[in-house]
Amino acid sequence: MHELTLVEGIISYILDIVHEKGGHVVSFKVVIGEFAQFDKNLIKDLLLELVKGTELENSKVMVEIEKAVVTCLCCNSKWGMDELLKPLNNDQREMIHFLPELLNSFSRCPNCGKSCFEIEKGRSVRVAEVKLNV
Amino acid sequence: MYKSYTSLDFREGMIKKRLERIKKIILITSGKGGVGKSTVAATMAALTAKEGMSVGLLDTDVHGPSSAFIFGIRSLPKEDRHGLLPPISNGVKVMSLDLFATGKPIPVSGKGARQIIKELLALTEWGNLDFLIVDTPPGTGDVLLTLINVLGKKAFSIVVTLPTSLSISVVRRTIELLLTSQIPIFGVLENMSYRADVGKSHSQSRGELLALEFGVKFLGELPIDYKASEAIDARDMPSLLKTDFAKTLLTLLEKSKLFNYNKTQKLNDGPIQ
Ligand SMILES: Nc1ncnc2c1ncn2[C@@H]1O[C@H](COP(=O)(O)OP(=O)(O)OP(=O)(O)O)[C@@H](O)[C@H]1O
Ligand SMILES: [Mg+2]
Ligand SMILES: [Zn+2]
Repeated sequence: MHELTLVEGIISYILDIVHEKGGHVVSFKVVIGEFAQFDKNLIKDLLLELVKGTELENSKVMVEIEKAVVTCLCCNSKWGMDELLKPLNNDQREMIHFLPELLNSFSRCPNCGKSCFEIEKGRSVRVAEVKLNV
Repeated sequence: MYKSYTSLDFREGMIKKRLERIKKIILITSGKGGVGKSTVAATMAALTAKEGMSVGLLDTDVHGPSSAFIFGIRSLPKEDRHGLLPPISNGVKVMSLDLFATGKPIPVSGKGARQIIKELLALTEWGNLDFLIVDTPPGTGDVLLTLINVLGKKAFSIVVTLPTSLSISVVRRTIELLLTSQIPIFGVLENMSYRADVGKSHSQSRGELLALEFGVKFLGELPIDYKASEAIDARDMPSLLKTDFAKTLLTLLEKSKLFNYNKTQKLNDGPIQ
């Protein structure tokens, strides 16, 4: 799995921000989109592990899960992740967790039967906020 | 004093770090569909690998990816702690959406396409590369704009056209977009210019006139070669590399000194006023 790559990416990105803006990081918040299917505690543990020895060591680390919201652009209905993934096999689910846009290749809208989904929320991992004390 | 920063895309930082390990990035563009971008990109990647260089091929055609097909790759990319490892075929590391979608249609919006491109760039572990060759989709839409945006500082482009007025008129707009976006144009390549079995008969080609119009280099003409399209249909890269098409491409690339080129070198003086 590529959790570690992402977590490393997040930390080095936040460090770049501090170096650019100055000050120190009071807190930062990482949001895990439901589609990514990462374990919240695992991500938090990895973050806490990897900030050790960096300027982020004493920053408050927040991790949240964001529920998925998918809109069908064809009929304007909205869906959660589970409803759309239920009919799929494991390989297909695996690929969608990796690239959620592939939902369009494998899933159909339960309401209109088409595949014109747009992922509004819960797509993947993101840094939602970095709070600096400058 | 506290300051809060929101909506940050940390993938851009990841991409930047990965790009530091890549010496040259070449966008194979056109704007026009079906002119042979993917064929040129794949053949060029395999030829470059044969020259002993480390090469990656990134297929950014979200709607009609074809690199995995051309290389005959059927395996999924593997994941390790550094990211996604592209499968290697004929010496080329290949990353393409068709490795994931496995032949299914990929109907995504422009927003979705932008996400996919950034995600692939952030997660693919190319390692150290001499060349990253980027196959682009037809049109000048979200994908090309995202690539210009994310790879712009490091990339240059080879523009592929056909010797027809329709193709030239579309490609002209792409050249303008690239130049105004500060993507240097390494050269214009004209594909399907003459029949491989008949040979060249004309002197100056339309592609050459187009290149002259913008003051960019004309790399030369590639033949219509049925053996090349047969090799592609057969997913047979070694045979493709033996065709007149591939041999001509190699000659043109060597003549253009692509293998020694650095982006810091000045390519041309921009458009002729
Ligand atoms: N020089 C050539 N001689 C013969 N056939 C060719 C040549 N170049 C390309 N082809 C064939 O033309 C078709 C289109 O080529 P290709 O897919 O590379 O174009 P493209 O520009 O990538 O298209 P798209 O815009 O759809 O991505 C393919 O079937 C390919 O095998
Ligand atoms: Mg193509
Ligand atoms: Zn619908």
